[in-house]
Amino acid sequence: MASHGVARVSGPNASVRSEELRQKELKQIAAYKDLVDLVNTKETQYTVEVLGLTTKLLNENPEYYTIWNHRRRILLTLLPTGLVQDSPPPKPDPAALDIVNGDLQLTFALLRKFPKCYWIWNHRNWILEKGQSIFDSASALTLWLGELQLVGKMLHSDSRNFHAWSYRRFVVARLELIRTRTPTQQSLTESEFEYTTKMIKSNLSNFSAWHNRSQLIPRLLEERVADSAARRKVLNDELALICTAINTDPFDQSIWFYHQYLMSTLSPQCAPQKMIVRDLSNLDRQKYYAHEMEYIREILDDETECKWIYEALLCCASCYLEVDGGTEAFTTLDMREWLRELKRLDPLRKGRWEDLGRRLDI
Amino acid sequence: MSLVSGPGRAGMADTPVELQLFVDKHVRYIQSLDTRKDELEYWLTEHLRLNGLYWGITALHLLGQPDALPRQGIIDFLLSCLHGNGGFGAAPGHDAHMLYTVSAVQILATLDAFDEFEERIKGGRKRIGQYIADLQDRETGTFAGDEWGERDTRFLYGALNALSLMGLLHLVDVEKAVEHVHSCANFDGGYGTRPGSESHAGQVFTCVGALTIAGRLDLVDQAKLGAWLSERQLKNGGLNGRPEKKEDVCYSWWVMSSLAMLNKLHWIDGEKLTAFILQCQDPEGGGLADRPGDMVDVFHTVFGIAGLSLLKYPGLQEVDPVYCMPRAVTKRCLGK
Repeated sequence: MASHGVARVSGPNASVRSEELRQKELKQIAAYKDLVDLVNTKETQYTVEVLGLTTKLLNENPEYYTIWNHRRRILLTLLPTGLVQDSPPPKPDPAALDIVNGDLQLTFALLRKFPKCYWIWNHRNWILEKGQSIFDSASALTLWLGELQLVGKMLHSDSRNFHAWSYRRFVVARLELIRTRTPTQQSLTESEFEYTTKMIKSNLSNFSAWHNRSQLIPRLLEERVADSAARRKVLNDELALICTAINTDPFDQSIWFYHQYLMSTLSPQCAPQKMIVRDLSNLDRQKYYAHEMEYIREILDDETECKWIYEALLCCASCYLEVDGGTEAFTTLDMREWLRELKRLDPLRKGRWEDLGRRLDI
Repeated sequence: MSLVSGPGRAGMADTPVELQLFVDKHVRYIQSLDTRKDELEYWLTEHLRLNGLYWGITALHLLGQPDALPRQGIIDFLLSCLHGNGGFGAAPGHDAHMLYTVSAVQILATLDAFDEFEERIKGGRKRIGQYIADLQDRETGTFAGDEWGERDTRFLYGALNALSLMGLLHLVDVEKAVEHVHSCANFDGGYGTRPGSESHAGQVFTCVGALTIAGRLDLVDQAKLGAWLSERQLKNGGLNGRPEKKEDVCYSWWVMSSLAMLNKLHWIDGEKLTAFILQCQDPEGGGLADRPGDMVDVFHTVFGIAGLSLLKYPGLQEVDPVYCMPRAVTKRCLGK
């Protein structure tokens, strides 16, 4: 009822199935409906047998959310009553371990086939939460470390899957929570930051990775107890990274959004907890803006047809004007010229550029 | 190929073929949806039945054919999906969930059937409201989809949508809900499924919609979000949902409705988008697909048509960008 990317068959015979195919489909329907009826008549039977039937049905239709609910009701009877998290059991119950592993395998196999199905991700979350409450900390840690590996695999096959990215943040939070009870290092911020670097380096267009990076930076600085010099180094390194990225592909919008993010952290209006450098003077700001404008203008020498360059120049210029009205780094004439280029190169968004001209009063 | 122009579209005879909306074909396509019981797909998508009905009915109303499906049959079907706790399942025998409960309320509103519903189920409206309200996490303001606890800004929006249509917003902590939405805002001005999640046009629609219902659009970084949304338009005129992704007709709705709520529809090229949406029609069997040449479905059909309505395509009823329902209906329910 909501198909994506499936080609339409057209022509005179498009909607006419051969009688053979029709009969085959009718048989499939009958078998499917029989299975659905069988599961539904056993709705109140919380047994291993019915659990097996739900497995069969969910393999045929993982979108059938009621069956996932039914499965959870069965699991709740089969699993030992959850213990409070503060006092994990001394030893995991082998039968419980089997059940949890069974559901992890089921959802893993289904996610390989249906990586965007909300219900499967949701069930995996649920079974892990259950597992966490009935396992000792060592088994729980193994469980969640396995999840980190799994989500790595998922992102390897589709580096933009937002379910997988969301799940990754969730797994990391869980692992960090467990590690607060162990003498090992607690936070995964540094390794997750490294992970985004790795993802970006293999594909600059990965906006999901850039986004996660922007989420990690404030935590990274906090955890490093970074002083002003350390914070300036992080900012400069990020600007250098994005500068290289822009040089590689100035037409990629993911890169420019991250550039905008870095610029927004410079602004006096930026919330203090989101600032990368907290003690910027207006003179510092001017230097940063001027430096950005300088290298972006250099790219302009080779790349006159890229609208993102003009947009970034106007953005930096308007930031600059907020901290210093009487700049010599550029003129109103320059700004008018950039706006004219924007309108020429990007007629789709003409209305936006007209509004921008009015806002900047140029 | 038949080039029938739809009702109420006088003067369309001069419209070039590629700019025609095949109204009659779409109406017949939607009417045919419940007759496809000899297709496995019909049974595999039973978990979407109530959503599908909302999509179909909304499309028909926007096409100016509100009576193309039998009203009584629809209301009877809705009641067969209602649970004792006030929630609706996707179809009879399916568990109650926020997603279907919202669709049910939207259908009742569109059919102007709240009084009739109340006659058949005493205190029914209040019970639905309570079901929704009980799914709010009073600590964080967010909403779960059902008793199993998945949380997502889609459910929060759905809750505010349905409750406001029934005049029952006071059952929940709107201020906390607003705080939660605000905590999902990203540096690009957009919103994700939960705090920390990447901006996604579908989620932007739910968050901006929720804030609009709550009267708190002042919390949105409108210039940034408008810019991000306008960059969803690709050279072929279609819109994508995130940077560097492919275009898809359903984003015509998620992106454009958000731009409309921010009063920035003019930040994209409407003519090119109109042409793109129209190319996604199946001119023979009716219905719209995600992209030209793909299989149609009722989900893309309604969001394509609703998109065309926002683009003021001639002959279509006006759509409300906040609710994805006919504006005349939301005016009646909200009194504004």
